[in-house]
Amino acid sequence: MSMNWKSMSAFIAVIYGIMAIMPLFVGDVDHLMHILIMCLIWAVVASCWDLIMGFAGIFSFGQVAFFVIGAYASAIFSIDFGINPFFAMLLAGTVAGGFGVLVGLPCLRLKGAYVALVTFAVHMILEPFLKSGMGRAIGTGGSMGILTIPPLELFGISFTADNKIAVFYAALVLAVVCSVIIMLVIRSFWGTAFLALKDSEDFAASLGVSGLRYKLAVFALTSFLTGLVGGFYGHYVGMLSTRMLGIDLFVTLMIMLVLGGIGQYPGVILGAIMTVGINENLSALGSYRPMILGAMVVVLVLLLPDGIIGLLRRFAFWKTSAGEKAVTGGVDNN
Amino acid sequence: MLLEYLDVFISGMTIGSVYALMAVGLTLVYGVSRAFNFAYGSFYSLGGYIAWVLMMLIGLRGGYFMVFALAIPILMVFGYFTEKAIVAPLRKRSDWEVKVMMITLGLALFMDNGYQVLFGPRMKSLPPIMDGAIEAGGIYISNQDLMIFILSITGILAFRWILNNTRIGMAVRAVAQNPDGAQIVGIPKDKIFAATFGISTVMVGAGGVLLAQKYFISPMGGWDILVKSWVITAFGGMGSIRGGLYAAFILGLLEAFVGYWFGLNWVLFALFAVLLTTLAIRPQGLMGKWG
Amino acid sequence: MKKLNLFVLMVAAVFTFAGTGFAAEVIKVGVPLAMTGPYTDTGDNYWKGIKMAIDEINESGGLLGKQLEPIRFDTQEFAPERVMQGADYLCGKEKVDSVHAGWAGWGQDVRAYGKYTAPFFADDGSQSAVEVFKSNPEKYSNIFQLTDTDINQAKSMFRVLMALPYEYPNNKVVIINADDAWGMGVGDTLEKSFKEKGWEVAMHEVVPYGTREWGSVLTRIRRVEPAIIHLEIVSAQEVITFFRQFMEAPTDSILSYGYSIVPREVVQTMGKEADGLIGEVPTAMPTPVAPTPEAQAWVDKFTKQWKHQPQAGSWAAYSGVKAWATAVEAVGNEKDHNAVCDYIATNGYKGETGWWKWDEDHVMRGGGDVPFGHYQVQDGELVTIFTDPPTKPYKDFKFIKPRWIK
Repeated sequence: MSMNWKSMSAFIAVIYGIMAIMPLFVGDVDHLMHILIMCLIWAVVASCWDLIMGFAGIFSFGQVAFFVIGAYASAIFSIDFGINPFFAMLLAGTVAGGFGVLVGLPCLRLKGAYVALVTFAVHMILEPFLKSGMGRAIGTGGSMGILTIPPLELFGISFTADNKIAVFYAALVLAVVCSVIIMLVIRSFWGTAFLALKDSEDFAASLGVSGLRYKLAVFALTSFLTGLVGGFYGHYVGMLSTRMLGIDLFVTLMIMLVLGGIGQYPGVILGAIMTVGINENLSALGSYRPMILGAMVVVLVLLLPDGIIGLLRRFAFWKTSAGEKAVTGGVDNN
Repeated sequence: MLLEYLDVFISGMTIGSVYALMAVGLTLVYGVSRAFNFAYGSFYSLGGYIAWVLMMLIGLRGGYFMVFALAIPILMVFGYFTEKAIVAPLRKRSDWEVKVMMITLGLALFMDNGYQVLFGPRMKSLPPIMDGAIEAGGIYISNQDLMIFILSITGILAFRWILNNTRIGMAVRAVAQNPDGAQIVGIPKDKIFAATFGISTVMVGAGGVLLAQKYFISPMGGWDILVKSWVITAFGGMGSIRGGLYAAFILGLLEAFVGYWFGLNWVLFALFAVLLTTLAIRPQGLMGKWG
Repeated sequence: MKKLNLFVLMVAAVFTFAGTGFAAEVIKVGVPLAMTGPYTDTGDNYWKGIKMAIDEINESGGLLGKQLEPIRFDTQEFAPERVMQGADYLCGKEKVDSVHAGWAGWGQDVRAYGKYTAPFFADDGSQSAVEVFKSNPEKYSNIFQLTDTDINQAKSMFRVLMALPYEYPNNKVVIINADDAWGMGVGDTLEKSFKEKGWEVAMHEVVPYGTREWGSVLTRIRRVEPAIIHLEIVSAQEVITFFRQFMEAPTDSILSYGYSIVPREVVQTMGKEADGLIGEVPTAMPTPVAPTPEAQAWVDKFTKQWKHQPQAGSWAAYSGVKAWATAVEAVGNEKDHNAVCDYIATNGYKGETGWWKWDEDHVMRGGGDVPFGHYQVQDGELVTIFTDPPTKPYKDFKFIKPRWIK
């Protein structure tokens, strides 16, 4: 299905290696550094999405919601409880992970479009909740948002928006750690279990692979990592509002996935970087930008089923047993 | 007090009739081909914009009758070929369900922003289908709402009639029940998939025409419709038309009464609470056959 | 990947060279506005004002002999990192010498642009943005708000409601507002004002955007029969559907639409049907007759250029550009951002209707030569009936009792 351990690590090492030396060239251009930081942040979020959707085969549409939950939780922990941002981020990840399990529970018995709906429901409810009286009571600032979030401080370095090179390397470390975790999961028994579950749940069950446990675990893990990165985002940007829950970010993340190749980890990392780049270059075009993005999704899904990775593979960069199994129609799939 | 409840009840039924019309098309496509159409809301807007172009831009005479007469074939053709062009090629793949969601989401983004480029960001309006209101014992029902209710129900009944009494309708049902079996007995499965998509586009697009004259048309106006239709079909059971109908009226009434007792801000919470509870007890929804 | 890097580097290089090479000929002006998404329409209103001012300056030989070059940035839906990116791009990379926004982030923008020195003009109309400014006036001294806050606007709406030449049948009010920062700010302030005056706030309903079925709310309103219904949702579909459904069985209530009267579609769609509605616009150009000949000339010019009447925000954004240009002329160097900001803060700017003055919080407070305008729809057009503060009738235009009140 996907790459082996070695080529996967090499791929990740090359991407992050190139990223790591970028500040040498553009370190003094704040605007470009910000874009690079966002590339790393979205790369993690999109990777988590790929793990749950591409590998575990769960149509989770709640990734942006977990990101926002993590961001708000970390901000609230550090502001209202005076917790050091570093630990606040970890706590926020735990909160997001907890929500992941909560959302995952009802999803265990559901399939396909139902799971997509339940997870997307979290996304849709989050905005009215954060704005509501309940939200204000826990410190979300209601519709105003939170405008002053303390920055992450470690080893005497303050990771603020004024110090983008430091933030960049912190984000890079975070991205590498998350990528390694995701890679380990994919390459471990888990990954095999997921593939088995995706192909045939009944068969997997007969082998003793419990779908429930693994599905819950993947919900927990992906939402933990996404929430953690969300926390990082909040401390970096220094302010939060519910405006992240618009449709724009959601679709952008999806394009990263489509571009990188669903279930073709680590292609999604490359997808994230390219999508951010394309989005920036199209920005001046106004309404044509989302139009082009939409058309891109259509064309890519049709022509590049496995994203960039599929394209690379077609040029025989990697020898793998291709994952293009033909199943006649999906209707009788169940 | 009783009068007020009646008032709210009528409001709920009006909302429900609209929802029913919206949701039927979505549930049909899912029921027949298990394709989930994320561009459903954009198809809704398409209906509205077609009506606007016909009535306000070209100045078509003959009122809404002519609009429907022209819009329905356009929508049918559009839906049919959309399926052929972007959904059908994906069917061969193993993970086609998620691919269909993504490609239709891309299409939605393309279409919505296309509207923005073509028609501008500001809303468009159509003349009301009927003016005035009926008054009976302190209860007011606007003729506009009455027309929406009647036309929605007529549309759904016509749709059921087609499904139960015509050759194509029976073929659709056969494919829904057993795609391979249907193919063996000579029903062109692929054509039926596309036709189903076309019919669903007509349902939602006609709904778009009907609602545009009350709720107006704006480029991003379809998202709300998609979300509501999605909730209704999941609640009623994806693929079950009868379930969708019940769900539409239950949720319409729920919306009206929650709005009345607690306020409109609680409607969304209530909708999802009911949905989640239902799915926890019955994962296939009220009347769904598919898991 | 390598190609991409190379590309990024090349772009960066080109911009760096461009920055140094042409700096002498043009003055760059940053314009971060929503060009996509739900705020496209308001973004468009601001852009038309800004473009008009820039064209005017360029046609008259430029500023200090240099042409102005607008650089646009799409703020999309105002996500925090997007707002920050706009600041980094315009001020950090493009090194613009002023930034002209409209709705810009309701406080997020103050933080993002406060890092830089270029004068920044926003039309946030939000107390939270002012609070951020107050937290460090020194740092944020380049931030200028073109409109007064939500709180002050709501107070002005209240004063005018109380000053209407109309006898209220009771002291009950219903407030309905959207769940965004603007709606909440106005709704809460109004509630407080009404209560202080001894009114009963019979209902205060917060509603989400996209509400178009008002049956359940109207049922309750009809039970209450309030003397005033205030609606604060800056989106045409919501407020038109409310009005039409209200009119099926109207109560004897003054319909006060506040800033919701602004989306042009409200009046355009309903025409004379909307007669009787009242509303408010800050930093407004009163219509149908402008207060001064210069102002009238401006309205005529705008209408000629864009083929429609100016909408809220256009004039404010226009005046922001002009105020900055005046300051640059006086200082004699567009690069001396601190001096330019100082000049604006201390001297203000004389516009078409008179003086614009920013207070110590760098907010253009309503009043004086640029008061809040209060309108009523009469004969299908917005007619200024009051200006405030001080609350006084505008010229000879009179409030007319709405037709649905018995």
